[in-house]
Amino acid sequence: MPFDKRGDPTDEALLSHYAAGDGSAAAVLTQRLLPRVYRHALRMLGDAAEAEDAAQETMMRLWRVAPDWRSGEAQITTWLYRVTANLCRDRLRKRRALGLDEIADPADPAPGVARTMQDRQRRDALQQALQSLPDRQRQAVILRHIEGLSNPEIADIMDITPGAVESLTARGKRALADILAGRKSELGYHDD
Amino acid sequence: MDAVERALSAAREDLQVPEGLMARVLADAQAMTPPRPRAAARSARAPVWRMPSLGGWRGLGGLVAATCAGFWIGIAPPSAWPDAGAMILGVETSTTPYSDDSEALSVYGWDIEES
Repeated sequence: MPFDKRGDPTDEALLSHYAAGDGSAAAVLTQRLLPRVYRHALRMLGDAAEAEDAAQETMMRLWRVAPDWRSGEAQITTWLYRVTANLCRDRLRKRRALGLDEIADPADPAPGVARTMQDRQRRDALQQALQSLPDRQRQAVILRHIEGLSNPEIADIMDITPGAVESLTARGKRALADILAGRKSELGYHDD
Repeated sequence: MDAVERALSAAREDLQVPEGLMARVLADAQAMTPPRPRAAARSARAPVWRMPSLGGWRGLGGLVAATCAGFWIGIAPPSAWPDAGAMILGVETSTTPYSDDSEALSVYGWDIEES
């Protein structure tokens, strides 16, 4: 019986089935987890092609670690966010070392989907503002305000205290507000 | 709601994962699927004629034939064969067709005592 017909198995149960040789478990895990991994990579890197590579590498690491996964030690999503962020930071470091930081195109989060020019401008403006934040601040803001994770979850992913998460997200959000405030009229934001 | 809240709220919308990426990740997963533990499963479910310790189906055929032959011999042993059970117990089970005082012995003169 395929996994999508077996109720709602946990991520860990699916990974355990995959480790036992059941490839169909990986398909369900991919459907469930890849969107988060890709979204996180895209927001961290601001480049769709690089985000795809980082997301694929993250998932490959999950398949590789499956036989050795120790039950109950960590949430799979927490582990994935951590690996994604590490891979993205490596790529950002390389980009900076090569002086390529400025050439990354703004992310196009949903290619092919019709949207107004203003929506697109707003999304690009947010991505550019995110890219201007320090890496850790950007990661915390994305996890808190886009992925909707709680401070303790983010603290676990980033290996810092919930208080430090609060500080990072507050500073990051303030910085975003400052950046976007200068483009308010251009982006069509009007105070309600 | 200020500009940042609105921008972040819009960014929360689900992103479509590119089809190519989904296909590549699925292909990786299939290629990296660990092997099923076949050896243990096979020996646990192996039918009796496939058990190597019995010598395969030929060995099992010989075993069945020998069992049937032994069973039949137990039920109806050939008359020429000695009765092993009786031999062990020291009992005579066969009947002697002639006795010392039978007429038959007299015919051959075996009952004539030589003087």
